[in-house]
Amino acid sequence: MFIQQLVNGITQGSMFALLAISFGIVYGTLRLLNFATGSMYMIGAYFGWLMVHHVASNLFLALLAGAAAGYVVGYILERFAFRALRGVARIASLICTIGFAMFFNELMSVVFGAERKAMPSFYADTAFVIQGVSVSWLQIILVMVAATVLILLQLLIYRTKLGLAIRAVSLDFKTASLMGIPTDRVISLTFSLAGAVAGISGVLAAAYYNALFPYMGNMAGLKSFSAAVFGGLTSIPGAILGGYLLGIIENFAVQFISSGYRDIIGFSILVIFLLLRPQGLLGRKTD
Amino acid sequence: MRNVLRTITAVLLVFVVMGPLFASGAAEADDTIHIALSAPITGDWSEFGINFQRSVELAISELNAQGGILGRQVRLSVGDTQGNPQQAATLAQQWTSDPTVVAQIGPFASGPSMAMQPIFDSAGMVQLSPTASHTEYAGGSRWSFGIVGTQAGEGPFNANYAYNEIGIRNIAILHINNDWGIDTANFFTRAFEGLGGRVTRTEFYFEGESDFTAVLSTLRESGADGLFIASFYNDGAAINIQRDRLGWGVPVIGPTSLYSPQLIALGGSSVEGLFTGTGFFTPDPDPAVRQYVQSFQAKYGALPNFHAALAYDAMKLLADAIERAGSTDSEAIRSAMAETRDFPGLAGSITFTPAGDAVKGYRMLQIRNGEFVVYD
Repeated sequence: MFIQQLVNGITQGSMFALLAISFGIVYGTLRLLNFATGSMYMIGAYFGWLMVHHVASNLFLALLAGAAAGYVVGYILERFAFRALRGVARIASLICTIGFAMFFNELMSVVFGAERKAMPSFYADTAFVIQGVSVSWLQIILVMVAATVLILLQLLIYRTKLGLAIRAVSLDFKTASLMGIPTDRVISLTFSLAGAVAGISGVLAAAYYNALFPYMGNMAGLKSFSAAVFGGLTSIPGAILGGYLLGIIENFAVQFISSGYRDIIGFSILVIFLLLRPQGLLGRKTD
Repeated sequence: MRNVLRTITAVLLVFVVMGPLFASGAAEADDTIHIALSAPITGDWSEFGINFQRSVELAISELNAQGGILGRQVRLSVGDTQGNPQQAATLAQQWTSDPTVVAQIGPFASGPSMAMQPIFDSAGMVQLSPTASHTEYAGGSRWSFGIVGTQAGEGPFNANYAYNEIGIRNIAILHINNDWGIDTANFFTRAFEGLGGRVTRTEFYFEGESDFTAVLSTLRESGADGLFIASFYNDGAAINIQRDRLGWGVPVIGPTSLYSPQLIALGGSSVEGLFTGTGFFTPDPDPAVRQYVQSFQAKYGALPNFHAALAYDAMKLLADAIERAGSTDSEAIRSAMAETRDFPGLAGSITFTPAGDAVKGYRMLQIRNGEFVVYD
């Protein structure tokens, strides 16, 4: 039973973690909370589904389609919710991301219909069994994808010139610009990367739950935002850790108390933790 | 002279500006019958709301093709509750303040229905919800009617099948945590325990949840030899996929809300063998049902479900009641509605109890080889 809930928690945590990274990349660079993250996740799921149904029934192609769709949506968001509102109070951009979230949710519900769509199972076969609990290949893939995205992002940010530019923009936007860094392109790319990660997460969630619908991103977005805050909004490893911890804590709360307390326990721990350590698990203390 | 001219000009201007308002309002009030529909067109329940709108529009186009009601064409206004009680109450204010609205159909869930109820009650407008099944809904006002049948009738039907036909003795219950889910779980529990069965554990989930693995693991631990799920078909499919993945193979039974072709489309092999009651069955050989299924499919490219059929029944019943009342007077419509006896609905015949609930008959279906079949 303990193992079962741990496996459940890690699987769910992988999806939270990817979405939390998406929040983290945007917030880390621009100090902007992107509340359309859940919508990028949902749109990623729909494009993954389109790939599976109309092109090829392959999970990895679906993940690519989801990432591409998220990338484009991220680009659009940056153009309209951020660049167009530069120089205006940051709150305007934040409200604009909320507006875009509603716009995308309703748009998808009009275009594809509000009803749930079925996503076929991929890699549902049992990979191994520990103490009577079977773990499927899909669950392993979920964890592997989250780990790969983390490693690639860390490499990108700390080992490439582009990463250096992203870090410079995140530390001081104006100085970075004066130093000749093309800040517009860097910011645009950051948003697009965040969209791609959210899109991947959406395809994984659709494959794991075998379903997708226009409002799937609402709760996922909210929980992942909490996971990102929990881990420290500016830190990508923190976002990953926050995602996994939230997933595991929630599943154990169901096991040991009751299903109704799932979110109560998860969010209570979040609030208490933030009172003690406001910057989150791995966040920077400076701001 | 100039003053007189100025006054005349002012009066004329007022008429020019206001004229179209008076004219259109009066014309609509005279030659059409204006029906309001409240449904969750957007939000988490939008697939149900959109089906409501489709069915009611289909029923109205049929009525209008046959000459309308009382020889007048029917006009529909659709309002979006978003599945939200506050939004529903605002809509109720909007409908009751419009003198042309004759009666209101909707909304979808019990919560918003009960939020709208006091407003219709004080304004004296018929509220006909196709699907609200909370036992306190229809009895809450003389103006409120529900045609889905309540859990007070459905609970014992399901419990009897679970205990006597399927042979479950220890059952675990998973329900959605809203008015309807709590009611459904309670009535089922009471009836099942009344028969001598035992409920091993009752757990619930919140709307919008997509991960049921943890709660299913807990229910499995309780040692049940059957599972009752009080949810809609979309959650029902997700629950069964995850139950199947956990390798928990017990008989699963659920109320009429599970019956939809979408349950099989989404749930695949995991819903094989599942039991669900229904009042409406798409492959029903009944000619009225067949005609409705065909027109719905031709017009919208999708199969209707139980909820859609109930919305269609609601519109046809309302038309019938207005015909019988012989006028669009609210009190006359209400009396005619209350006097309904054996109205031949697609989702079962309708006779109202004094409270305004419909007494319905159900059939038990089982999913075999990926299809719903009548279980006898």
